[in-house]
Amino acid sequence: MEIDSEKIQQRKLSDYNNLDERFEIQKEMYRGQQYSQIYFARLHLMRTLLYSLAPTWKPHLPVCKVLGLEEGKECIIVGTLFKHMKLKPCVLDEYSKERSVTPLVKPHNFMHPDDHLILEDESGRVKLAGSALSPAIYVTGVVVALHGKETSAGEFFVEDVLEAGLPPQIERPFELKENKYVVLLSGLSIGSSLANPLQFQLLVDHITGHLGDEKEAAQIVHVVIAGNSVEFPRKLISGQNLASKDQSTLYEPIKELDIMLNQIAAGVSVDIMPGLNDPANFALPQQPLNRCLFPGSAPYNTFRSCTNPHSFDVDNIRFLGTSGQNIDDLDKYSEAKSKLDFVERTLRWRHLAPTAPNTLGCYPFTDRDPFLIETCPHVYFVGNQDKFDNRLIKGPEGQLVRLICIPKFCETGIAVAVNLRNLECHTISFSIQLS
Amino acid sequence: MATTAKNMKGFYKQTKNKITGGISKSKPSSSRKVSPKHAATQGSDAAQPAALISHGSVDLNDDYNKEEEMLRQFDMNIAYGPCLGMTRLDRWERALRLEMNPPKEIERLLKTGKVQQDCLWQDEAEALYKHSRAIESHNLVSSSHPGLLC
Repeated sequence: MEIDSEKIQQRKLSDYNNLDERFEIQKEMYRGQQYSQIYFARLHLMRTLLYSLAPTWKPHLPVCKVLGLEEGKECIIVGTLFKHMKLKPCVLDEYSKERSVTPLVKPHNFMHPDDHLILEDESGRVKLAGSALSPAIYVTGVVVALHGKETSAGEFFVEDVLEAGLPPQIERPFELKENKYVVLLSGLSIGSSLANPLQFQLLVDHITGHLGDEKEAAQIVHVVIAGNSVEFPRKLISGQNLASKDQSTLYEPIKELDIMLNQIAAGVSVDIMPGLNDPANFALPQQPLNRCLFPGSAPYNTFRSCTNPHSFDVDNIRFLGTSGQNIDDLDKYSEAKSKLDFVERTLRWRHLAPTAPNTLGCYPFTDRDPFLIETCPHVYFVGNQDKFDNRLIKGPEGQLVRLICIPKFCETGIAVAVNLRNLECHTISFSIQLS
Repeated sequence: MATTAKNMKGFYKQTKNKITGGISKSKPSSSRKVSPKHAATQGSDAAQPAALISHGSVDLNDDYNKEEEMLRQFDMNIAYGPCLGMTRLDRWERALRLEMNPPKEIERLLKTGKVQQDCLWQDEAEALYKHSRAIESHNLVSSSHPGLLC
């Protein structure tokens, strides 16, 4: 039988650039430093930026440090916010004598009407008053500039807030004439009771063009798996030595994942990021999953194990994303109408994970804060969310960002495809009805 | 890892001791100034962090010169951030990278190598860190890896 060469679809090509170097910690050495170093680096870099923005914001006001505040004098101060939260779990509660006071059921969100904000810089801290700054929106670790004056009570009455705003963006190339898609998915949770292997297989078949829709599959140029790809049976990880039967159940999920990744990597370039449940380190930035875990897929040069957070360029379109821990942590310590509000806030604060290291595990960097967003991405994605959502935001300097919440694939069967030509995205959903 | 046999002998101090036969491994002598000067505290690692016991030599020396004084002023300057957990040279280089224009004499002094590379309290901080690690690993049977905490 003759194969008609016109009918063979070639997958579209694209340029890929990995920008994860800032999130790697191989060169870092731990010398007993504390988190004050990373807070110092964060404050210094953000303060330099805010000082440069302050004259255009409020031209006639002086800028001073917290210790230089005088009562009644209107000025601008820049510092790190600290939110004092009554319900925030404290490690000292274990040692408290009044055990009965701590609630038995831990609340999912630790907010309380009595929460208040404090501004801190290296010279001191001051409590913030006034309604311009809502404690419900802000979290510990955000660096802002505040306009206000000190009251007789020793508090700083806030009249206005300046956030860093969206960072500068590299212009999108105009010449893209054809549709090229990047597929984002997360929360495969292979090994959990929710995951349906048939659903994932359908997705793999769709991406590799085996479902019959080769034209659409050929337009997919890149695949990113944003965390929580496996779920290990928790009861097996108890510190005891495992029987060999249990050992094989422990690595079954990874073997299955490797087989599927092998199928994908054979056809298209794929990035896999670690998530909260994956066999990677706990503290952010999570380091790439070890290549030994993927003996079948690792030999392919299309397979890349990446850090969490992950930053890369495809055809000069900048992508930045996480596996969800940063947004989930914001959800515990602040509130918003939708998860996309949290995502947008982190971009406007120019910091991927402001609650790190306060409530989110983080490596104690000494000389930099890798979570500062220096260049505005074109696509900013967050994995392992409850439902799909997306928003296009515009910045004052013409920045255009597509914010995407990627839902958990094991629960929803939905993956997201982003069109590089116009930053539009749509879902690809798979469902299995077994009657 | 091309360590010759000659290197390995120096790496693992060989001592005759209670273990019959074999070679006992002990931590190689640390090049850092943390090891306690008093023999009495040698065995009681769980009792007290070594550096909190007075060394009697480094800190209380009255005639530390003005170079050390200059370096201490550099340590204490809050503009350059916290001093614990970094060598003075690392902190100077960080200040340079963050465009704080740190004074060049400090770099010159630190690069001569004749001065203390760490800030005054680094020893105590490191001893406390090692002490807390020692408590954690108290129940481990295997001997420590040589050079892990150096």
